[in-house]
Amino acid sequence: MSVILVTGGTGLVGKALQHILAIEPEGSRFGKKAGEHWVFVSSKDADLRDSAQTMALFEKHKPTHVIHLAAIVGGVYINMKRNLTFLRDNILINDNILHTSHVLGVKKVISCLSTCVFPDKVTYPLDETKIHLGPPHPSNFGYSHAKRMVDVQNRAYKEQFGCNFTSAIPTSIFGPHDNFELESAHVIPALIHKCFLAQRMCAGHSKLPISSSWPYHIENGTSFVVGGTGKPLRQFIYSHDLAKLFIWQLREYDSVEPVILSVGEEEEVSIETLTDAIVRAMDFKGEYVFDTSQAEGQFRKPASNKKLISLIGNFEFTPFQKALDETVQWFLANHARARTDKRAEV
Amino acid sequence: MSSSVILVTGGTGLVGSAIRHIIETEPAGSRFGKKPGEKWVFVSSGEGDLRDPEQTRKLFEKYKPTHVIHLAALVGGLFKNMKYKLTFLRDNILINDNVLHTSHTTGVKKVISCLSTCVFPDKVTYPLDETKIHLGLPHESNFGYAHAKRMVDVQNHAYKDQFGDNFTSAIPTNVFGPHDNFDLEGSHVIPGLIHKCYLAKKNGTPFVVMGTGKPLRQFIYSYDLAKLFIWQLREYDDVEPVILSVGEDEEVSIKQVADAIVKAMDFQGEYTFDTTKADGQFRKPASNKNLLSLMGGYEFAPFDKALDETVKWFLANYDNARTGLNGRPTGH
Repeated sequence: MSVILVTGGTGLVGKALQHILAIEPEGSRFGKKAGEHWVFVSSKDADLRDSAQTMALFEKHKPTHVIHLAAIVGGVYINMKRNLTFLRDNILINDNILHTSHVLGVKKVISCLSTCVFPDKVTYPLDETKIHLGPPHPSNFGYSHAKRMVDVQNRAYKEQFGCNFTSAIPTSIFGPHDNFELESAHVIPALIHKCFLAQRMCAGHSKLPISSSWPYHIENGTSFVVGGTGKPLRQFIYSHDLAKLFIWQLREYDSVEPVILSVGEEEEVSIETLTDAIVRAMDFKGEYVFDTSQAEGQFRKPASNKKLISLIGNFEFTPFQKALDETVQWFLANHARARTDKRAEV
Repeated sequence: MSSSVILVTGGTGLVGSAIRHIIETEPAGSRFGKKPGEKWVFVSSGEGDLRDPEQTRKLFEKYKPTHVIHLAALVGGLFKNMKYKLTFLRDNILINDNVLHTSHTTGVKKVISCLSTCVFPDKVTYPLDETKIHLGLPHESNFGYAHAKRMVDVQNHAYKDQFGDNFTSAIPTNVFGPHDNFDLEGSHVIPGLIHKCYLAKKNGTPFVVMGTGKPLRQFIYSYDLAKLFIWQLREYDDVEPVILSVGEDEEVSIKQVADAIVKAMDFQGEYTFDTTKADGQFRKPASNKNLLSLMGGYEFAPFDKALDETVKWFLANYDNARTGLNGRPTGH
């Protein structure tokens, strides 16, 4: 009998895990196995920055395994304003999870790093050996150092106590239940939400929002504006695919070394291709334009998934258009209750 | 005049004792002497376990420091570091977070924490300087301690960025002097050799030094380091760390160290090198250019004189020193 505790269980990835376990055939590679009890918790169940609350949570559920997804996250602007908070709170959360897991004899913990914590100056593609080769980008150095520390902690726990702690490094994730709030969202949910608003305006449903932070143009009925040139390339992984990879890592991977969980480098898409795919998925009849005066980040930051593929054997990622369609359909059906408003200030 | 309370954590250790000595012996009001209105408080683990946030808070409440020189840490020799990687990582992170966060919440005006040249990247170009701390992974053997110490620099920058706190750090090279840890199991090279030579003389056995004696090291006398800490407290307000070290031209070989100890102890017995034993890195020089340009020059105590004083102290205080043989805690 195993009890698998998923922290951050109601977020983008947590919800995807719930979905996969619910629909995959029982006993199959990514389905629920007999004797497994999955528990999905959120910050409502415990503030993981507090060691007593974390211990109480573990004592309540008695996990044998932990998939640790909970973190304080945010877009680039809030990271820059609150580097200490992002550093300290994430260190507290991670230390509480790892230390409580150790003390209570949890058999395995998978924590989450991110490709955004890699060194700023690095040769591409990124791979698992390059995480610590130099300082991270200054804009999110607090978050980055806290996440990198998880890899250090995993190794230290393994060497001193033999704990089976490891980590996953996803690239850019998208899917249902994402954060679609325009100021803090990542690129795919942001563009879906923007296209949606433009669509409503074209259909006369909404008034033009007056806000200096939203660069909407009224001329020629163009209300869907994409920041940048559209040329930068990114690797995107569908949350449902990522969930399967986490389940694989839980069941079949026992090294302390992190694994990059990503589509292949050849699956990179440009922001322009992405926008076209969103337009198709939403059946948007209007025009969109690129605002080339806006910053667009790095041209490419490819990560290699060679290690993952060599370990997992065959894995079929959901075709990008299909994954985007499903995400858009989810948003259209759920936008009234999706995360579209500003959250409380960190 | 304004008054300040300077709390020194790790106040009874090698460096803490040296700062106390300097403050008590330099002329009051001089560059390194006690200034009017200053109250210096030296605390040790007996007064509070800094791994515990509550005990740390109580300590700060008791003394109400305006400034902190944070020297306290869990330190150890090579073998302990390798065996207890998690403990060295986690306990030091707890100590440092408690000191920095309590300093922040109680409005301490300035904190100087301690890094070390041993936390620099394993693969790096020499000489070491303040820009190279994070350019790669530290050596495997002390990676728990090294990562915890590097994190202090990250924390200092984050506290400064978000809150404007005046937190900074010092990076000493190899320190030696009175009140060191002379326990043969965990000691660093100078106190280790002093203790070995003492036992060889006492027992009439050979004094054997591990390795070839050829490797070079920069050593800073604890009394000089103490003055540099006092300088940094009074005259340096940048978040960036400063290497506190003698110049690269002051490197000495292990053989020179052993020769000086033999002389200071007046050891007449057999003195050899066991060249079958490992040497460690040949050199790992650090640059003190930044320090000297900021201080406008500094006269370090001549090495032989400093070593002589340290040996004399050891001989006079053997029964009370941290030798691992008399029940006195060695800090491990």
